[in-house]
Amino acid sequence: MNNPSSNRWTLARVHNRARGLARLSPTATAGVIIILFFGILALFSNLFMPHDPVASYTDRILQPPSADHWFGTDGNGMDVFSRVIYGAKFGFGIAIPAVLISLVIGVPVGLIAGYRGGILDEVLMRIFDGLRVFPSIILALAVVAATGQSLLNVVLVLGFLDSPVFARLVRSEVLSLRSSIFVESAIAAGNPTWRILFLHLLPNSIEGAMAQTAVRAAWAVRISATLAFLGVGIQAPTPEWGAMIRQGTEFMITGQWWVAIFPGVALIFLVFGLNLFGDGLQDILDPRRRTSK
Amino acid sequence: MSLLSVQELQTHFIYRDIDYQFREAKALNKVTLSLNAGEVLGIVGETGAGKSLTAQSICGLLRPPAQIVGGSVMFDGKELLSLSEDEINAIRGADIAMVVQNPRSSLDPLTQIGKQLVRVHQTHSGGTILESRQKALDMMRAVGIPDPLGRFNAWPHELSGGMAQRVLIAMALMNEPKLLIADEPTTGLDVTVQAQILDLLEDLVNQFDMACMIITHDLGIVAHYCDQVAVMFAGEIVEQGPTKRVFQTPAHPYTQQLLAATPERLQMGIRSQLGGQPPDLFNLPTGCLSQDRCPKSTKKCETPPPMIDVSSGHLARCHFAESDNKAGSKGGD
Amino acid sequence: MKFSHFIFRRALMVIPLLVGVLFLTFMLVRVGGLDPVGLLAGPTATAEEFEMIREELGLNEPLWRQFVIYTSNVIQGDLGESWLSNRPVLEDIGARAIISLELLFWGIGIGTLIGVPLGLRAAFRPNGRFDQTTRILSLLGFSIPTYWLGLVMLFVFFYLLRWAPPGMGRISLMVSPPDFVTGSYFIDGIISANWRAAYSSLTHLILPVICLAIVSAAPIIKQTRAIALEVISSDTVRFARASGLRTKTVRSIVFRNSATPIVTFVGTEITGLVGTMSLIEYVFAWGGLGQYGLNAIVRGDFTAVQGYVLVLALFSVIVFLAVDIIIAIIEPRADLK
Repeated sequence: MNNPSSNRWTLARVHNRARGLARLSPTATAGVIIILFFGILALFSNLFMPHDPVASYTDRILQPPSADHWFGTDGNGMDVFSRVIYGAKFGFGIAIPAVLISLVIGVPVGLIAGYRGGILDEVLMRIFDGLRVFPSIILALAVVAATGQSLLNVVLVLGFLDSPVFARLVRSEVLSLRSSIFVESAIAAGNPTWRILFLHLLPNSIEGAMAQTAVRAAWAVRISATLAFLGVGIQAPTPEWGAMIRQGTEFMITGQWWVAIFPGVALIFLVFGLNLFGDGLQDILDPRRRTSK
Repeated sequence: MSLLSVQELQTHFIYRDIDYQFREAKALNKVTLSLNAGEVLGIVGETGAGKSLTAQSICGLLRPPAQIVGGSVMFDGKELLSLSEDEINAIRGADIAMVVQNPRSSLDPLTQIGKQLVRVHQTHSGGTILESRQKALDMMRAVGIPDPLGRFNAWPHELSGGMAQRVLIAMALMNEPKLLIADEPTTGLDVTVQAQILDLLEDLVNQFDMACMIITHDLGIVAHYCDQVAVMFAGEIVEQGPTKRVFQTPAHPYTQQLLAATPERLQMGIRSQLGGQPPDLFNLPTGCLSQDRCPKSTKKCETPPPMIDVSSGHLARCHFAESDNKAGSKGGD
Repeated sequence: MKFSHFIFRRALMVIPLLVGVLFLTFMLVRVGGLDPVGLLAGPTATAEEFEMIREELGLNEPLWRQFVIYTSNVIQGDLGESWLSNRPVLEDIGARAIISLELLFWGIGIGTLIGVPLGLRAAFRPNGRFDQTTRILSLLGFSIPTYWLGLVMLFVFFYLLRWAPPGMGRISLMVSPPDFVTGSYFIDGIISANWRAAYSSLTHLILPVICLAIVSAAPIIKQTRAIALEVISSDTVRFARASGLRTKTVRSIVFRNSATPIVTFVGTEITGLVGTMSLIEYVFAWGGLGQYGLNAIVRGDFTAVQGYVLVLALFSVIVFLAVDIIIAIIEPRADLK
């Protein structure tokens, strides 16, 4: 019936595979749905926002949720619902470039360090180990605060700071693969180093890194919101979720809960979706977990 | 009545693959064997033939996705397959004891060996700690561990492979088992140590009148230490009987290949030595499981071959078994 | 080798790490466009005053000399002066360090006490209902921003229910703090039988500690489960089952064999949790080191940031060292060479 050795990707086969993956890991599926949901919000926010996210209605400051303003209005009279929807853009706009940068820096560094070994590897590992003693939030905060507060900086800093994770993953894969037969024969056959790195080692080392991308993306979204919450990197009145929570802080203890709670819920959702997806991916990739009937 | 009687045991691996389709590997196919007190049975076969799986199935140590789908295991008058987890746990380590490969990693690294011996005795036999302690010291002496009192508080990582294996054997004997299963007990040990351990096992089996099952891929071990032998292939027993008989006049082509291709003491860990692909447990052929790689295979082999009585106690699962032996064998024994 | 020798040797190996940390901290603060002189001098300073301040801060020296000066200062305990508070940084930090330690201790302690058993239980029945529920909850814990959680708790328990005190500081404004013994208002209150102070500080402790406990429990649950599963599939546990040991015994074997990796993991988590704790301090106005550091960073208090980051790093190094020592104690396999 199902011939696994066939290489033809018919539509039915893709459909089956998708259904199979979905049932194998409901967590990954739920994660994907959530991510897609926010993705659509981010891309097509115009369709979903009833108001202009930065339009301030000075006559309707701090209104509780109502028919006109589903999530109420904030201290500047802006519609919280629209702002929350718009904020999805920041989630992806920061996380995707940041993770890409981490990959672009981390993967080659890991490949080279693992392959070459020697002093380069030692020094790099020492540096990474040294970085480990600093809490990542504090590190990110300090660097962004010191280098100037713009969105671009946030992305660059986050991307840079997260690259050791990928570098370490790839490096350990490379280390174990380096002495495998197929790599040794590739070397013996006289392949130039870059070929070995990219054609032979890369495809095999990247699997673990891939599963981590969703988790790192979740982290990037979280940290960028934290930075905004502390007033670093993104300023009001930008409709970014962290900045919105910052603005809503003072109103929490006076009872206007909607200003800070809704952006937080959105943030939790997106990060949760990314984490679900990452966790589900690890599920699928680890054969030991697929043992139920 | 036999102490242990396995009838038509079937163990399959059932799971869903990445396309969410069911995949079923038939790892044990109607395995039938029996064992009596004082007998030593050797189970041989290439890697993946199902030897360890047989032992695990008997003891209820299967892990998902493996599960028993048919057959019966009668031990000492009880049907093991119908026992609850707790009931069979009470039998393990007491009436049925196991000695495994990798002795150093099987011992609990965080407990001293003396304490581990006492622990297994306390679990099944009770009594005072002092009694268990004394028994432990006796067993350590019995398995040839020098200076038992001094070694009582040793940690597992301080032991050599051979010494650790002796501890495992001591542990197995703490509760005076009726059946001892040794799964590759000497693989990975030095050659000299291997002989020592096996001699020790032989002694102990005679001393305590236990039934013993030795699982190995080493024909030499079987030849020297086992009264009976069962040859496994693709989850089936293809030939079994008194070791001398089977090795002198093998009736099944597979056994013949084994003995012809390798001198007695050569190990057969590599499948390719015997030629042919390993059997695909997901798609076993109907009829004889060896038909794809057997030099004698004909159309007839597409029907399942019966287990043929070559002579008393010597059985072979091959259509051609009778005829081969008629040529060279004498009457019964 | 004697145990004291072991500790000494480990401590010695830490020195290169410390130098590296000093260096990183040193570079960190000089990384960007932050101009300490500008901040200290103010907008109305003349060029000469600028120069004076530069001289005073030693910024005209070559970088390596600055580093040497910095290092020797640090060793003597001089972390410079905070331009915000005009007090020595060491003084500011010292007073607050204990305050943060209290929160960290309770928060992570409770987080571990919750997380480890949950993770173990999930591992004993993998893919069961408990396991799946725990995994979702743990992932949720990963996803909730701590500061938001703190705010929500304040809203619910203070504003709505009036159960908790306002999120300001460690003790009610109307209660005088107990006499100083350990620096922890709660413990000191109990020690000096100052029940009012003890009670007040306890009520102030509850919410931040719960926040920190929840956030720290999430990764601990996940990792404990993973570690326990690995141990369960090890030769040791397989053999234990083959020996017919009772379930209780087997579980105890699993737990003890998981202990070392769990301790190691919690040690590495503490570093990250210090960051999270700073946020909690910020939300609850706890007055601890974390809040101090966050303020310093955001306001650009150069020397204070330097001191803060250094102390954090030192703390992590000490934690790693402590983990190594703990493992050497509980592991018979530890190589004390």
